[in-house]
Amino acid sequence: MPIGVKVLERPIEDVSYVRATLTGMGLTLRHLVNPHKVTVQYPEQREQLSPRWRGTHRMLTTDDGKSKCVACGLCPTVCPANCIKLVPGEDAQGNRYPLVFEIDEFRCIFCGYCQEVCPEEAIHVGRHYENSEYSRDGFVYDLERLMAQTHPVCEMWDPADPRGE
Amino acid sequence: MITLTIEGRQVSVPEGTSILEAGKAAGILIPHYCYHPGLPVAGVCRMCLVEVEKSPKLAPACATAAADGQVVHVHSESALEARQGVLELLLINHPLDCPVCDQSGECELQDYTYAEGRRSTRYREPKRVNPVEDFGGDVVYVPNRCILCTRCVRFMETVAEDPVLNVSDRGDHALIGKFENQDLTHPWAGNVVELCPVGALLSKDFLNKARSWDMDRAASVCPGCSQGCNIVIETRDNVVARLRPRPNADVNQYFMCDEGRLNYRWLNRRDRVAEPLVRRGDALIPVDWEIAIDAAARTLTGRRVTAIVSPGLSNEVLYLLRRVLERCGAESEGVFAVRQGPEAPLPGVPDLAVRADRAPNVQGAELMGFRRTDAPLDAVRSGDVLLLADADLSAAGAAVVSGALARAADIIVIGTTVPAWAAGAGAALPLANMAEDEGTFTNLRGRVQRYRQAKSPPALARPGWSVLADLLVALGDPIVVWTPAEAFSALAQAHPAFAGMTYEGLGATGTVVADAREPRAVTAGIGA
Ligand code: SF4
Ligand code: SF4
Ligand code: SF4
Ligand code: SF4
Ligand code: FES
Repeated sequence: MPIGVKVLERPIEDVSYVRATLTGMGLTLRHLVNPHKVTVQYPEQREQLSPRWRGTHRMLTTDDGKSKCVACGLCPTVCPANCIKLVPGEDAQGNRYPLVFEIDEFRCIFCGYCQEVCPEEAIHVGRHYENSEYSRDGFVYDLERLMAQTHPVCEMWDPADPRGE
Repeated sequence: MITLTIEGRQVSVPEGTSILEAGKAAGILIPHYCYHPGLPVAGVCRMCLVEVEKSPKLAPACATAAADGQVVHVHSESALEARQGVLELLLINHPLDCPVCDQSGECELQDYTYAEGRRSTRYREPKRVNPVEDFGGDVVYVPNRCILCTRCVRFMETVAEDPVLNVSDRGDHALIGKFENQDLTHPWAGNVVELCPVGALLSKDFLNKARSWDMDRAASVCPGCSQGCNIVIETRDNVVARLRPRPNADVNQYFMCDEGRLNYRWLNRRDRVAEPLVRRGDALIPVDWEIAIDAAARTLTGRRVTAIVSPGLSNEVLYLLRRVLERCGAESEGVFAVRQGPEAPLPGVPDLAVRADRAPNVQGAELMGFRRTDAPLDAVRSGDVLLLADADLSAAGAAVVSGALARAADIIVIGTTVPAWAAGAGAALPLANMAEDEGTFTNLRGRVQRYRQAKSPPALARPGWSVLADLLVALGDPIVVWTPAEAFSALAQAHPAFAGMTYEGLGATGTVVADAREPRAVTAGIGA
């Protein structure tokens, strides 16, 4: 059976591209003269990150330079991406501390739960996003690397507005 | 029998039962600290206060006998308020140690505080601080976390009958002390770690090793001696991290000995045979299972075999081994030796002791017709095939070993390791160890008890029942065994002592064999 094709007869003002093209060019021209610029000259210029930005982790340290982590095991438990590896142990003073503490930044979904759950305010997500490495392994941060990070850490909430309203 | 109502649920219990136990029977947990079913009632913590209708005051559920027609409210306003008060006082001097405390996750103070406690503290004064004390044995005491329930004191006094612990000092200075020059070195003292409802008494061995929620658990039976205490094997990432007792009123009540508790490292051995091996020239080389089983079967067929078996193998494996021997040449025989150790009873529990026979299935090996001897290697006659079934012969002298090696014409190893002196074996079939397999042991009173798999075996190692079933088929036996339950039912059909038993029917606490030599009166748990 032959297929019938119905050819729609539409008025020229509906099918013409001239008007659409002119509208588009008008938009471009408007932005050309608009004084408000959104493009930033990265990396010379940088955007201010929100205080609640959640990025690359940082392990905070005590005054004598040791990691604050006591290997309580809460962050590996809460982490939905299962990307924290922790092996607890004892240091020379008999204190609980992490023998192994690793975060796979590739697997991390930057939910910030680890920071929220940590009873020692040790692990933090940071206001930082520039990560590049030559290998995937480079994204598994060990304790030393986490402690060596210097970027500011995330403020989970605005103290003036704790409910985020 | 009396009938009472707890939280709107009717329950009938024998006369003399406490309200707390009646609650358990009704499926209602009444919070408690000092009460433990294996210890005498002390009534010191007041955590179990409940409201009993028509009674002027709140009643401690652990120390109040249930009465006919009683109506008990566990979660009424006044009971909750009283318990909240108890918790608040307990927490006054309690450190905020949960992140570093080993009990975290299995702590009754945590649990009840979450369930019923105040959201925050009203106490602003400095807390009392005392130093951590080594109690000897495997136990360390953290006084700051102690809630003075006296479970540990009562255990040492009335169950271990070695009163080493006491409550020293009074008031808010009170803490658990040790009598001078005494240590928690009683062979059963480690149970205080389990009994302690908080993180005040901790195992040194387990200290800071794992979180309770990190671990997987499997119901098992202690492989340490012929008593067969029921245990739980807890593993973290496929490594056994600790053993804990599992209640069985007929065997070990709530306890296990320290030797058994700490005897788990061999389950994590790294020097295991992980692949089937057969001899090619001078070396044992890894091969497929079929090839190794065929090689073993060819060696065994028609020869006189001396099997030296381990009394730590399951009933099923020993039964299948016996069946293998029947397929081999005439006069084939199976023997085993049992490592000995000092016997140490727990006086407060009838018929509970670390037994001199330090193997879990001595009775099973005897029931399967293996001969017990102190010199198993002497059973090897010249020209024999020596079938080494996971037996540990490290105690035998070098001369005895070399003598047996000289007499044996061939060696077949079925086990978890190949000892250095057996490196001349013709074939080695790697087995899963008891934590990696499931099966049953028969304890010294003839109780057949199941243990479950707790971790996975290395590489190609397989459960003993499955390896031996294949070997039997290769030897021409028509046996069909695909599961451990089928292995057990093959045994139950063949052996009169196991007649009528089913794998499922053994349940969590086991069944006694038909011809147990000293059948034991069933003793109910204290207060149960
Ligand atoms: S931010 Fe979320 S996903 Fe990333 S490590 Fe923390 S808990 Fe895990
Ligand atoms: S939650 Fe904090 S203290 Fe606990 S393991 Fe993680 S980083 Fe360490
Ligand atoms: S005893 Fe319980 S409540 Fe106390 S620190 Fe340990 S886990 Fe926390
Ligand atoms: S150490 Fe533990 S068991 Fe002993 S009194 Fe203190 S809290 Fe109770
Ligand atoms: S459990 Fe009843 S008073 Fe302690």
